[in-house]
Amino acid sequence: MTLLTRFALRRLLAALLVLLVLSIAVYALFYVLPGDPARLACGPKCTADQVAQVRTQLGLDDPALAQYAHFLHGLFAGTDISTGVGTEHCGAPCLGFSYQNGEQVTSLLAQRLPATASLSLGAMALWLVIGVGTGVLSALRHGGITERLLTAVTLAGNAVPVFIIGILLMLLFVSVLGWLPFPSYVPLTEDPEQWAWNLVLPWLSLAILESAKYARLTRSSMLDTLSEDHVRTFRAYGVRERSVIGRHALRGALPPVIALTALDLGTMFGGAVLTESLFGIPGLGKSLVDSVRTEDLPVVVGLVLVTGFFVVLANAVADVLYAVADRRVVLA
Amino acid sequence: MTTSDVLAAPGAASDTPEAAPGARQLWRRLRAQRAALAGVAVIVLLVLVALAAPLLAALEGQDPDAYHASAVDSALGGVPVGSFGGVSADHWLGVEPGTGRDLFARLVYGARISLGIGLAATVVQVVLGVAVGLAAGLGNRFLDNLLSRTTDVMLALPTLVFAIALLAIVPAGFPRPVLLVLVLGLLGWGGTSRIVRAQTLSLKSLDYVAAARLGGAGRWRIARRELLPSLAAPVVTYSALLVPSNIASEAGLSFLGIGVKPPTPSWGQMLSSATTWYQADPTYVLLPAGLIFVTVLAFTALGDGVRTALDPRAGTRLRAVARGRKGARP
Amino acid sequence: MSHLSVTPRRLAAAAVVLAITGGAAACGPEDSGAKAAGGKPAKGGTLYVLNQSPQEDFDPARLYTSGGGNVPGLVFRTLTTRNRENGADGSKVVPDLATDTGTPNKDATVWTYHLKDGLKYEDGSAITTADIKYGIERSFAAELSGGAPYLRDWLTGGKEYQGPYKDKGGLASIETPDAKTIVFHLNKPEGDFPLLATQTSFAPVPKAKDTGTKYENHPVSSGPYKVVANENDGEHLVLERNTHWDAKTDEERKAYPDRIDVRSGLDAAVINQRLSSGSGKDAAAVTTDTNLTAAELAKITGDKELAGRVGTGHFGYTDYISFNPKVKPFDDPKVRQAISYAVDRSTVVNALGGSSLAEPATTFLPAQESFGYTPYDAFPAGKSGDAAKAKELLKEAGYPKGLTVTLTHDSSGGDEQGPEVATALQDALKKAGITVKLEGLESSAYSEKIHGVKTEPGFFLAGWGADWPSGGPFLAPIFDGRQIVQDGYNFNNAQLDDPAVNKEIDEINKLTDLKAAAVRWGALDKKIGEQALTVPLVHPVYKRLYGKDVKNVVISDWTGVLDVAQVSVK
Repeated sequence: MTLLTRFALRRLLAALLVLLVLSIAVYALFYVLPGDPARLACGPKCTADQVAQVRTQLGLDDPALAQYAHFLHGLFAGTDISTGVGTEHCGAPCLGFSYQNGEQVTSLLAQRLPATASLSLGAMALWLVIGVGTGVLSALRHGGITERLLTAVTLAGNAVPVFIIGILLMLLFVSVLGWLPFPSYVPLTEDPEQWAWNLVLPWLSLAILESAKYARLTRSSMLDTLSEDHVRTFRAYGVRERSVIGRHALRGALPPVIALTALDLGTMFGGAVLTESLFGIPGLGKSLVDSVRTEDLPVVVGLVLVTGFFVVLANAVADVLYAVADRRVVLA
Repeated sequence: MTTSDVLAAPGAASDTPEAAPGARQLWRRLRAQRAALAGVAVIVLLVLVALAAPLLAALEGQDPDAYHASAVDSALGGVPVGSFGGVSADHWLGVEPGTGRDLFARLVYGARISLGIGLAATVVQVVLGVAVGLAAGLGNRFLDNLLSRTTDVMLALPTLVFAIALLAIVPAGFPRPVLLVLVLGLLGWGGTSRIVRAQTLSLKSLDYVAAARLGGAGRWRIARRELLPSLAAPVVTYSALLVPSNIASEAGLSFLGIGVKPPTPSWGQMLSSATTWYQADPTYVLLPAGLIFVTVLAFTALGDGVRTALDPRAGTRLRAVARGRKGARP
Repeated sequence: MSHLSVTPRRLAAAAVVLAITGGAAACGPEDSGAKAAGGKPAKGGTLYVLNQSPQEDFDPARLYTSGGGNVPGLVFRTLTTRNRENGADGSKVVPDLATDTGTPNKDATVWTYHLKDGLKYEDGSAITTADIKYGIERSFAAELSGGAPYLRDWLTGGKEYQGPYKDKGGLASIETPDAKTIVFHLNKPEGDFPLLATQTSFAPVPKAKDTGTKYENHPVSSGPYKVVANENDGEHLVLERNTHWDAKTDEERKAYPDRIDVRSGLDAAVINQRLSSGSGKDAAAVTTDTNLTAAELAKITGDKELAGRVGTGHFGYTDYISFNPKVKPFDDPKVRQAISYAVDRSTVVNALGGSSLAEPATTFLPAQESFGYTPYDAFPAGKSGDAAKAKELLKEAGYPKGLTVTLTHDSSGGDEQGPEVATALQDALKKAGITVKLEGLESSAYSEKIHGVKTEPGFFLAGWGADWPSGGPFLAPIFDGRQIVQDGYNFNNAQLDDPAVNKEIDEINKLTDLKAAAVRWGALDKKIGEQALTVPLVHPVYKRLYGKDVKNVVISDWTGVLDVAQVSVK
């Protein structure tokens, strides 16, 4: 176990390092390179006075390294921020201030998180149920048409943009059949039934093709496990087939599925940009597109960092999960 | 030469490389796969359509940017006159609601943007990826570490989010198609780089490379003369899979309204304006959606075929694929 | 945006009018809602309002509205208000708290008002003219920025006054000789003063209850409803009947529902979808900021029941091409005229959603009597452009082989100044040998560029709406040479400084007979139109859905929007 713990620690440390590098890159790209970052941060409607104020706030007259240090300090310890009319405290993690919205970036993003979480977690549940279920079934009926079908759908799922599926589903279920309402996001806390009902289409759009990937993965991992020696031994000793499948083969097949889930979830938390835009879900992804349109730079930078955070974290978690399941990885 | 292993989980061992099959052999193996063959047929057709776009539009007698006020019903919000989105002898695939612009002409011109940007971005990614991968593989430990970690970061980043953010800070005057190619190219070289590095490392230890080194050949000379030819197969395999994901990314960005600028026709942008019309004029939605779908699928089928042809043993390691390639997924 | 007072005031003029009344949808007299919904309106029930933009500002000093706003008008009464009637009648100004629309002195520089009897706040205390004066003074405070700029420009001493928090002395140019009389002293003649007195800065604010920037959470109501909840900075507002409001003192507001629930932060498509299906509470719902799009309209028109629930409105607005004659080749009137002839208004109309959402315009003034509409077509382009005439003019101007120009526009799709209209014009001008390159800019960059004297391009799309239905606020900011703003937001895009035009504007402003003034504005519009400084393109028409149970839909030409004060849900 110590080996595993060490691996996990090492992996998380590496992830932290990557995040640090990422934050430097992003900071440099958005705040140091452009002509007048104060004007960009403040938004195009700011007066010269306000731009000057923002310049001081961002410390743009300081050397680049000091600026970055200030930014990091805000991120970990919070900082006081000038809002144009006064000063307010921006607690950690402080991602800056959106002058266009008159609000702190952190709180703007926090407001968007529930919608993104609703979308991602719901879709995940759906693709796991459909994907793993189909995978197990097809592993039991080895070979033939299921395998080819799964391969085809997986390929399509990896490539075809989600908005195409979304639009086609919308055409079918809303326009032609009239079974589902035109999706409109309702917060879970407001009306759980409406929340679920309105998210069915976005969930389906994300899950349909994704689940094929999971089915294929489950299937091949299970076949691998089933062919392993110890499983064969169980069979030889007359352990019942259901028990072999349920307790041993499935258990052996799950780690890669869990690892992949962590990865996909991380990416999706970082912003399911297209799905959210298509269905008008007020999450992080839609927020990104909106802020790019209005050139609200602090929000864009904040979102990019948050996205990077989720993705890098998911990668590390996936690796650790994978290692837990498959010790050989650690030893290698 | 197993790309899948190179792509796979940390610590996966590389096999001994084998000689890459020649172009003729590749084609022979591809021909055996029906899906790949169908993909090739569709792609050839699409490329021809893109190249002949002005000719095809002229044949129909339409201009992609010309408005036709009489082809839409102004009082009804601008729905096309006639059935199936205004299909007629003049407008073979109907017209765009509101403007009355000819859909056939816009779609064939749109093929140029989709294919052009998709392919050009792939070229940039491959060139960058090979360069970085070679440098990491041949360079000293420090350089290798630096480049490999950078590659890890690049691979982890969700392409779409970063592309959107980058497009935000570039001045409006910059030519948009070039910008799209650059942004997609700069964000998507990680996978190629990782493959090339691993491949280089394993080749480096081989006899003939060692012999060349002993013979006094410099690093870069070795890279050029000995390594690049052996890298061809895995790089071709991987780039065949990059094309569809780039096409999908371009469509996604255009769909979000940050792709090429109007009036340049692009499928993604057409689809995004079509979404508001999905009830009143479904034909308008189905055309660009279908085209993007078919194009991406055709390139994917070809890519998969190339992989199978070059490396018949490669079972798809999905975990690896999921990490290495990021299309416009979320 | 007003949190920061980032927005230059004049910009707010254009932007906020659009945002608040803007997308306006009102119903022309031809399909007045009362008829459509059937049955007599009755008291009771809850009216739901489904909106996109939250009511972030609910302080009468910070609100920038036309005619007192829609939802704000339920809580804030003002000296005068708009006539809440359908169509053209609705663009008249009528008394609200005051007994009449004001008594001017001879040259319209002094205006006197008297309050009605029995006016009370939500707590039962009496409304006095001192409170109205205090309310106006608050609107000068920097802390409460966002309101309209007119009082600062018009009131004597308004330029220097810093608001009641810094300047305890108050504004000397507003006198309150007794609790029922208020007198305004202006620095120049303004016949339109009664129209200005409809804005929320003229609402009474009791000094003792003023909580500064927090006042908007619970402003003291003088109208038929009071605020009982304001969640998430205006995202959810709940209004309930103000029992101290006396219908006998208010001839304008009907106030049928007992409760009004305003929910915002919704997507436009979602609002229209909910209104059209109208299930549950949505049957008693309306929207005050969401128009039907062309695609939605195309769907709805086929459905009789739905089509009967669409209100149509005409808010005074013009979308046009603007020239900057300081930039070549637009210094040559012949080039400007050639473009005026080449324009194809039918494709522009279609780009904006077809003939039910936009009407072709050849005058700068909106096609409404209150603005002084006088029909003219200085450069007849016909239905789809006169390319031959345009080519002829270009030849005369020295461009026999045509020319290449750049058209600047807003890059956001669906905008009236957006790429749809720009590409339509590009196509039309091509027929006349004019090659148009497009420069699409992000909304705020676009508006900053076209409104800066130094950055202004030669050829761009623009739009204009007035803060009240009169020729003055429509023409003066655009064509008055003294309103050219060198450093800041400039709306006189042609940078016209014509002494004759300036003099005529001053002359008309002296008129207190609004009808007579309107005729003169119309004549002035025609005269300026001949200079081809702009090419009027379209006047938008607004269409909006309302719920199944909604009765007594009144949509005036002033706001172009369904009036929430008149609606009944029982």
